[in-house]
Amino acid sequence: MTTNDDLTTIEVDQYFPHPPAKLWRALTTPDLMAQWLMPNDFEPVVGHRFTFHGRPVVQTGFSGQIACQVLELTPPKRLRISWADADDPGSMPTEVAWTLQPEGQGTRLILEHSGFDPDDPTQQLVRRLMNGGWRSHVLRRLTDVLQPVVCVRTGI
Amino acid sequence: MPRRVKSGPLDEVFAALANPTRRDILDALLDGEHTAGELAGKFDMARPSVSEHLRALRETGLVEERAEGRHRFYRVTGEPMAELIDWLTPYERFWRDRMIALGGVLDRMDDDDDE
Repeated sequence: MTTNDDLTTIEVDQYFPHPPAKLWRALTTPDLMAQWLMPNDFEPVVGHRFTFHGRPVVQTGFSGQIACQVLELTPPKRLRISWADADDPGSMPTEVAWTLQPEGQGTRLILEHSGFDPDDPTQQLVRRLMNGGWRSHVLRRLTDVLQPVVCVRTGI
Repeated sequence: MPRRVKSGPLDEVFAALANPTRRDILDALLDGEHTAGELAGKFDMARPSVSEHLRALRETGLVEERAEGRHRFYRVTGEPMAELIDWLTPYERFWRDRMIALGGVLDRMDDDDDE
């Protein structure tokens, strides 16, 4: 689990004891995607536009509807899509990329969510507060500390 | 379990964390609980200064105090910290949760055609 100090990108990686082809199916089959992410009308075709239908999250101003487009599709290695709040067309779209790396008997999945606005006042505040590596260091440590604390707030 | 004094609003949390010494103290408490004396030794600071910083952190609800005999131990409070992290990086938590959910889906899928 890594946290990038660059606040415009979130990076999360996880090892799964499953072959890349199986992971690829879970990442690109609409019914399976709905089980772990959100209901959607995804199609594995570059250029295809689709929507994720989630539940709104008031705290984060998330409308629940995400407008996406398939940007890159390289089975079973990499999937990249655009990701924008469908109810906020003025906001800059971000990008989500999944990279699959064979590792031992399984697969390491690296997720990068990039393109967050570095000029966003909230993020500027966070950057001011969390400079000098404090943020990533503490977040990593807190993740360990908070493992027992169950609090799922994404509501999706 | 000690009761949390109060969970301050986020701007109080940020005001408290704007001070690098307080961030260091919070960081030290992530390793486990400490007394004000231990923290003072760790940071080569006067006890009253440490107590002042601890008071500010306790007012945000990020840190709590536990009395044991003549000693007072300080530690990180889980819930407000979790809220702070959610607020700072909502998507980070979102994706971590999705990864866990993905693991569950993979475990339920059959292995046909994957070899």
